[in-house]
Amino acid sequence: MTTLDTTYHQRRLDERLRDPEFRREYDAARRQVDQVDAVVQALDRLRVDTGLSKAELARRIGKNPAAVRRLFSAAANPELATVAAIASVLDAEIKIVPNEPARVSTRPRSRRADGVA
Amino acid sequence: MAWAIVYYDPDDRSTSALAFLDTCPMKVEANLLAVLDAVAAAPPPAFSGGGKWEAMHGQMGGFYEIRATGPNREQFRLFCILDNAEDTELAQRGLPGPAIAVIAGMRKPWKTAFTELDYAHVREMGSAYGDSRPRRIVV
Repeated sequence: MTTLDTTYHQRRLDERLRDPEFRREYDAARRQVDQVDAVVQALDRLRVDTGLSKAELARRIGKNPAAVRRLFSAAANPELATVAAIASVLDAEIKIVPNEPARVSTRPRSRRADGVA
Repeated sequence: MAWAIVYYDPDDRSTSALAFLDTCPMKVEANLLAVLDAVAAAPPPAFSGGGKWEAMHGQMGGFYEIRATGPNREQFRLFCILDNAEDTELAQRGLPGPAIAVIAGMRKPWKTAFTELDYAHVREMGSAYGDSRPRRIVV
């Protein structure tokens, strides 16, 4: 049996990524997806390390076990409130970390811009 | 191990997922491909796809959809199947390993629904892909 060439997707993607505008959009989308994945995967690792079953975790946050199973198996869009509740039960917390120092304007705000004519 | 991403190649190529992607706004296409690549890199049962990769239910059971929103909240969907089996079976299918098979794509205005006929067409394409040996994919 012949083995098919399954590289078409990568070749097409490489071609599309030559367009800087497409690359910008793709990279931004991928970062967003990867961040959500990283949060849920980190929670699941923490759950396993803690020795909690998904059913027990569900009980502790007052959710249906099926909802927690879905959250860890990519069958649904995770709700931030659920993620935060799970983090809390696992003695962890969600943090937002800026990629670079916040840009603080050094220019004095104009009185007109403040609405003080 | 990352999975391959393959595109079903139907007789009528105007209905293929690739033809659909070619008509998507650039940002929508970038979003759909980013989710596909993330899922292929960390395939099920691991969580991946940022919540934009969702298992379908009912008559569409066995399919997964990727959702993206375009200008004027137009909705874009890419329908996929997980193609995985024992090595010998994968060899019969012509696949070097497990793959995400992209079957079809559809778009609809905000707050409207696809018809049963639309979904039936996607299922037909999925069945045709599943029956093919070796797999009918774009190479």
